[in-house]
Amino acid sequence: MDFFSNIGLGFSVALSLTNIFYCFLGALLGTLVGVIPGLGVLAAISMLFPLTFHLEPTTALIMLAGIWYGTTYGGSTASILLNLPGTPANAVTCLDGYPMAKQGRGGVALFMTTVASFFGASFGIILLTLFTPVIAEYALQFGSAEYFALMLMGLVAASTISEGSAIKGLAMVVLGIIIGLVGMDTQSATIRFSFGILGLLEGVSLIALAMGVFGVAEIIMSVRRVKTADVDPESLKLKAIKPSRDEVRRSWFPMLRGASMGSFFGTLPGTGPSIAAFLSYAIEKRISRTPERFGKGAIEGIMAPEAANNAADQTAFIPTLSLGVPGSATMALMLGVLMIHGVAPGPNLISSQPELFWGLIMSFWVGNLILLLLNIPLIGVWVRMLTIPYHILFPAVLAFICIGAFTSGFSPLNVWMVFAFGVLGYLMRVFRFPGAPLLLGFVLGPLMEEHFRRAMVLSRGDFMTFFERPISATIMALTGLVLIWGVVSAERSRKRQLLSEGEVDHTPEATDRPT
Amino acid sequence: MKSILTAAAVALGLAQPLAAQDFPTGPVTIIVPYSPSGNTDVFTRHLAPYLEEKWGQPIVIDNRPGGGSMVGTAIVAQAEPDGHTLLVTTSAFVTAPAIQTSLPFDSREAFVPVANVGHVSYVLVTNGDSGFDTLEDFIVQSKDAPKFAATAGLGTTTHFAIEKFIADSGADVDVVHFKGGGPAVVSILSKETDIYGSSISSAGENLKTGKVKALAVLGNERIDALPDVPSTGELGFPDLEIKQWVGMFAPAGTDPAIVAKINADVNEVLQTPEFIATVTPLDWTLFQSTPEGFAQQIDEELTKWKALAVSQGISK
Repeated sequence: MDFFSNIGLGFSVALSLTNIFYCFLGALLGTLVGVIPGLGVLAAISMLFPLTFHLEPTTALIMLAGIWYGTTYGGSTASILLNLPGTPANAVTCLDGYPMAKQGRGGVALFMTTVASFFGASFGIILLTLFTPVIAEYALQFGSAEYFALMLMGLVAASTISEGSAIKGLAMVVLGIIIGLVGMDTQSATIRFSFGILGLLEGVSLIALAMGVFGVAEIIMSVRRVKTADVDPESLKLKAIKPSRDEVRRSWFPMLRGASMGSFFGTLPGTGPSIAAFLSYAIEKRISRTPERFGKGAIEGIMAPEAANNAADQTAFIPTLSLGVPGSATMALMLGVLMIHGVAPGPNLISSQPELFWGLIMSFWVGNLILLLLNIPLIGVWVRMLTIPYHILFPAVLAFICIGAFTSGFSPLNVWMVFAFGVLGYLMRVFRFPGAPLLLGFVLGPLMEEHFRRAMVLSRGDFMTFFERPISATIMALTGLVLIWGVVSAERSRKRQLLSEGEVDHTPEATDRPT
Repeated sequence: MKSILTAAAVALGLAQPLAAQDFPTGPVTIIVPYSPSGNTDVFTRHLAPYLEEKWGQPIVIDNRPGGGSMVGTAIVAQAEPDGHTLLVTTSAFVTAPAIQTSLPFDSREAFVPVANVGHVSYVLVTNGDSGFDTLEDFIVQSKDAPKFAATAGLGTTTHFAIEKFIADSGADVDVVHFKGGGPAVVSILSKETDIYGSSISSAGENLKTGKVKALAVLGNERIDALPDVPSTGELGFPDLEIKQWVGMFAPAGTDPAIVAKINADVNEVLQTPEFIATVTPLDWTLFQSTPEGFAQQIDEELTKWKALAVSQGISK
């Protein structure tokens, strides 16, 4: 009964006129920030942070949270239409979203990602509502050894993200890790690969890397091809956003799996929506009976990651609100809002500030509903963006990328980095090196190192720590399975290929093979 | 080039008293080398409106986090020394250089200390269920089974506080670095580490609920927020007077008259009852300082922490 009175209390706060207004404002701003490539959520929230001095803490949080999950909705738009990740969490959506747009199914992709986003977010909110106090406890079971094991599994699972050559994929993971090493080592203060540039002490900016490798490179490629966009006028009509029955059928399970993965990773400090999106994509591709469709416009390839990143957006609030432990810089900002208003985040927050806690959570429903209503009618507008002549669109996008890169650290260095990574990304395209593993190596590599080093200090140099701690051992075992499975299935498909190269079309194996 | 600038500065010396009176002639940028919402940022944002009112000029707070505060600090080191670019930072100003030896500036030469505005105290905390209730227990037990100490990062004041504690107490403790105070507190909650020198606000509610317990306050006096917790001075460690202070700095070469004016204005704000009321719940002890006194403190601390870094073998 207590539960329902809490929900009631939450809605009474969330549905006040002021809070609905700020929720709408946050969601709208978030969508805009998401659609504009490069302008990240952290930059947007940092800029608006001083404003929250003048708002009630609950209202301030509702608005900032709206921006936070709004960007993930908006971010898929640029990924699908322009092959530019609106936010790093949407980078993986480019892989299948952009091919869909090129096939004239951009409207369908936008519609379906909005649905997946809403589904993932709802899944996350329900978990958040039911389990916040319980889940907070399990987050404490994760020490450095567990994080290391998890990241390792992530890299192993993700080594399958890449299309084509496994060697090239692996090479890109390693390059990503090397780029991730730039900056000051957290355990010894040794400065690595910074070439004496002070701005690199903090390492390379994720925004600069993602924008350069995915965004600028795409623009250079397209310009070189000198092909104007030919958008089928039919695809602009509302009818064209309706997915086929087959696409709907294919979407359910990826969406469910993505939402579960996202909810899990959202609660772990230091992982968050980007990693959740990558991993759920990797898993979909792994378990698909037709992995060859991935990267060519498979609907599963956009549904799973979009459900995952939105679910993670919501569950990221679990450790933040229940333990007072922010999992990311953005969540740290949210806590800052509380601290400015003299509210101490921590395990007591839920009982000492029930209006704030339940009001915020119930506002997530309001916000997500607003986003759903906001995004579907906008699809037509976004798709029309493709009819903008390239000689106008590309310079505009480049300008936004530069603004985004600059604001991500308020440093001109980031703009140069975008340029450098753009060149790198272009060369990678020319020589067919995949970009996604690079980004993943870049994100996971330094985290892995940090946790590995810490786990080693804590075990006093005993490698067995990864196999002696039960959770870590389980993850390690799973990693082993993923690895074996990867080798076996690669071997099997190689055999199949060899077989089908002959005249063995009649073998049962070949006919069983789904196309 | 530098000598020309110095010569120009000297030549302009005559006009300086007037410049101090007019200060500031435009917007003032305060660089905070930490992320928005951290302790230092919040303090500065509370301070800024009072100075804006006094100066009749807008104040821009520019967060430049990174490199254990050294990225933002370096920016101010290279800024125009006219008082319009100021740095508000923590005691990392004196601890980080003891570890990072390749900084592009000299902490003594590149800055003029303006005002030491106040400090927060550190409390040595451990998990609520840990097997030790006093600092003495901890030290004794560590000699049988070595313990782990968490820090909020290499070269932070929390790191030096624990190194100094280890050096003075002879406890057998290995130091593990985390990224920020939040993860360090979690490592105490999850029992991954055994002791952490935390600020009251970092330990926060966990201290009230008993999920973490305080063993001692670093320093020679008890603090009001935790009247029952002994100070390390009482426990026989007189040299652990380690506080996380926050101070304001200007680039070297700033007119002493301007420095004096800023110092006086800041001191005045720190006495405003309204201001005191806003920051006291955040566990701040405010100070009245002079630029000279603060400069001497900086000089002594730079020497002290460098020596500790060398003797503990953590300096590069």
